[in-house]
Amino acid sequence: MEKSLVTLERGTVCSAWNYCGQRLATGSDDGTLTIFDSRDPASSCSFTCTSKSRVHETSIVKVVWVPPEYGDAVACVCMDGTVSLWEEVVEDAQPLQWKLCKSFKSNSAKVLDIQFGISSTSLKMVAAYSEGHVKVYELLDSLELKNWQLQAEFQNVIESVSTFSKALCLSASISWNPQRGESQESSFVLGFNSDTPQLNSSKVWEFDQAHQRWLPVAELALPEDKSDQVYAVAWATNIGRPYEVIAVATRKGIAIWHLGLDPDADGRLSVEKVAMLSSHEGEVWQMEWDMSGMTLATTGNDGVVRLWQSNLNGIWHEQASFEPSS
Amino acid sequence: MLGVASDPGDGASVSGAGALVPFLPEARGPVVYPLHHGLKPPIARVAISWARGNSLRVSFFRRASGDGSDGDEVGGKVLEVRLNNGDGDISDAQLRRVAYGSVSPFAVLQSRRNSVASLSKISSPYHVEWWEYVMDYSKDINSLLGNPKSLPSPAIEDPQAVLQKVEEPTCLKAAWELMEVFYADKLSQAWLPERLVDWLTDYDSLLSSTQATIHLKVVDFQKELVTLQVIEDNTKYWEVISSALAVGWLDVVVKMLRLHGSYLLDQIGNRETENGLVEAVAVLISKMPRMRPALESGKLGECYKAKPDFIKAWEKWRAQITKLESSAFWVHCDHHRTREGLRNMLQIMLGNINSLCTATCHWIELYISHFLYIRPFTVGLESMYSLAKKCMQLKPMTSSHTLIGLVIGILGDNTEVVLAECSRSFGPWMVAHALELLTAGSDEAETLLQEERYNLGGISIEELHRLVYAQVLSLDALTWQLAPIYLTSCMKQGMGLLEILLSKQPVQHTQILLKIIEICRIYELDSISSNIMKIAGVYHWKHGRKGSGVFWLQQARDEVRLNRIALQLFDSVGQSISDESFKQWEGLIELLGSDSKTAGGLEFLRKYRDFKKSLKQVNDGKTTDVAQQAVESLISLMKNPSTPQRFWLPLLYDSLKLLSWQERPLLNVSQTNLLLNKVQELSMARLRPDFIEAELPPQALGGVRLALATNLGRAILEEK
Repeated sequence: MEKSLVTLERGTVCSAWNYCGQRLATGSDDGTLTIFDSRDPASSCSFTCTSKSRVHETSIVKVVWVPPEYGDAVACVCMDGTVSLWEEVVEDAQPLQWKLCKSFKSNSAKVLDIQFGISSTSLKMVAAYSEGHVKVYELLDSLELKNWQLQAEFQNVIESVSTFSKALCLSASISWNPQRGESQESSFVLGFNSDTPQLNSSKVWEFDQAHQRWLPVAELALPEDKSDQVYAVAWATNIGRPYEVIAVATRKGIAIWHLGLDPDADGRLSVEKVAMLSSHEGEVWQMEWDMSGMTLATTGNDGVVRLWQSNLNGIWHEQASFEPSS
Repeated sequence: MLGVASDPGDGASVSGAGALVPFLPEARGPVVYPLHHGLKPPIARVAISWARGNSLRVSFFRRASGDGSDGDEVGGKVLEVRLNNGDGDISDAQLRRVAYGSVSPFAVLQSRRNSVASLSKISSPYHVEWWEYVMDYSKDINSLLGNPKSLPSPAIEDPQAVLQKVEEPTCLKAAWELMEVFYADKLSQAWLPERLVDWLTDYDSLLSSTQATIHLKVVDFQKELVTLQVIEDNTKYWEVISSALAVGWLDVVVKMLRLHGSYLLDQIGNRETENGLVEAVAVLISKMPRMRPALESGKLGECYKAKPDFIKAWEKWRAQITKLESSAFWVHCDHHRTREGLRNMLQIMLGNINSLCTATCHWIELYISHFLYIRPFTVGLESMYSLAKKCMQLKPMTSSHTLIGLVIGILGDNTEVVLAECSRSFGPWMVAHALELLTAGSDEAETLLQEERYNLGGISIEELHRLVYAQVLSLDALTWQLAPIYLTSCMKQGMGLLEILLSKQPVQHTQILLKIIEICRIYELDSISSNIMKIAGVYHWKHGRKGSGVFWLQQARDEVRLNRIALQLFDSVGQSISDESFKQWEGLIELLGSDSKTAGGLEFLRKYRDFKKSLKQVNDGKTTDVAQQAVESLISLMKNPSTPQRFWLPLLYDSLKLLSWQERPLLNVSQTNLLLNKVQELSMARLRPDFIEAELPPQALGGVRLALATNLGRAILEEK
């Protein structure tokens, strides 16, 4: 049933697989970025370490792969709140190496989460900061990961009149709409785990092409739950459903939301909470949808991996769970 | 793949949860599986990621103790968990063979469905002959699952081998045949009971894994046989004979009867009556009327196709049994065990329920014996189901078996249960393929399975299961290429999943890339194909294979990146025309081929290359003709709007020799004017802040202007 793919070194704290599952990037507490590769496309069982380099002074807390259209590159989110982009390239006569392309530094606020999304024209990176701000960067040059432009900066609130300057956020979770249609505007969902109730609830942000700005088009929280701290969000792949499915984890459990496709007169999308799943007895670490968007895998504080599905009648339930043991 | 990819050591299997099919009608608790990572606790964090298909990769990170005192260098593990299930008694390789083999029957059936649908104006494609197509399909699939009758019989038959040796049957095949009998094979509906008799003959052995069966009894007795001296004294002999008779294994029964001691030459004299009785029973058994068109060779009974003929023969046969039963010869049979054994057999043939109950081991055997001896005319699912329920009460099973749930579901006419059992016991392959049988079975089932459901995201159950199976196929590098066949049979979401599946293939491997492009071409997925070529192009470009990079970007028609690459090339070649790097990028331009119209920038590079070539020849001391050619190239370059402005001056500067050609002016008046205008434009542009100064001597512009002016004067004189 299970087989071991890779053994990780001491101090490894995070990992990420690339788009085709043939490369694994891991980050460790001493700032080392390690890459494991499977050279044989027919089997994904032999992975060897092909690169290991110290990329930062402090611990790497999260590794995210850049979409393959932009090369073999990863973004490392570090403990001190900086983000650095590293890319595997061959330059001139030099051998293959991982090179630093860009470092995003911020004076006071730390980056909590980043995610890349592809819009019809360019690569975008959303970063959520510890003081509650959201920044969207746009790549200026499709062949180099050096030049980024800050496209927008906003707070995760529906009504933009008020700003919260002293927010303290522990974590944030971002998930892009996986749809890559040319016609579709890019959108993502974002939620905070913070001390400021208004920032917490997950909101769906969509880029308004006409006015070149990001607009909140939906809020995924019932009125009584709006201040709940959000641990994780995950936008499901949609291979043809007439609605979108998004999972939102809070301390109350994992909520499954249906999001309408057509905006109303105010530009808002209809939302419906279709399930509330009680899970992991505490913080949810991560949620991932499978490639058909029908099965949700989650993991959290209890260390168990759980799989969730909806049955024929639209009732969500836990289908299976995997309990780790040594 | 389909099978349980289990570690033989721990024996864990994912059956049940693996199918990941959200359809089990009854609520069941989650199945809990252990995941052995082999790490010392404590585990600080777990991370998950879906790989291709439905395999899940789980990373475990240990919490490092601060001082490193535990001396353990292992900091974590990444495991792959395959969430597929299948029939445990079939190996991965075998299932892969089945997966490959079933593609063609499936595709043929789909294309037949399409053509039938387009031909008939009736909304349902299932007119009279449809089941025949399904039957063809079912037979093709069935033959993939192994052929239990394929073992050649030995040249010299062992007279004591009562059971034929056959290939080990599988539950998968048993289940498939059962569904074929009930759903697809409409011709055999008239003799369904006999089909079930055959089915149990082939597959009773499978049930032995969980309980006592007649098959097991016969096998055990077979082992004992060689050691027995006087066989008819053995109670087990008579037990086994009547059991085999009860489920209609007539050939076995007759063979065993002929082992009776009274047949021995030295005994025949004093045991004449006894032997007569044994033979009479054997003859009666071999003459049993069977309501079926034909029997396999070696099987006993007399076949009747028409029901009235069969009823007549049946009644006559029963009368003969009754006659024998009440015959006076029994008194003269001295051998007690033989007398009792034979009379018990007659009771079985007469349908004595007590005798049948004693002779059979579980309810399916009892059920079959009902068809043979009590109710040979049973028709219709409803009466078959009530009979089954009666048999279950009389002879309950000691433990459950994967096949039994399926049998009950089929008899109970409950499509959802059948589907659930198929999925639970045999996995996604079975469900995806058995759906064809189920939809052919009845209109109700067809409606149930093909109705679009909002809760499933607007797809039908049929489509759902094809999607699930395609996902299982895409798990394996050896089978993912089969997935498109199933995905394209899905009306709603198949293409969406196919696009994702293709986008998740490792395109840096050229063979895979070519395969994906081919699939995209077949299914007209242009945008996916160009995106994948774009990824490949960027990959090669960034990994130092600039030629392949440009090639794939061109294939992808990625104007943005190609123009960007052209700019990069300008940067490397544009500084000075006499640059040594000429050869390096010349090859690259060569690679682009002559038909690449996709990027204006590269178009310029090609012209530039031509110009450079002729200029070189000029410098090598060639004739005026060559110089004239070089001038044509220069003019065409300068006229071309795609030539970047910052190249104008270097181009002109390098052409100084041409502009002041000794023999005669090479440029005519209008050409010279064109170039002078460009020089003028350059002088103006220099004033703008974004102007990029070429790395040329400061007097370059002046020199060019002077040369052009001189040439103009000479050209005017010449033209006069």
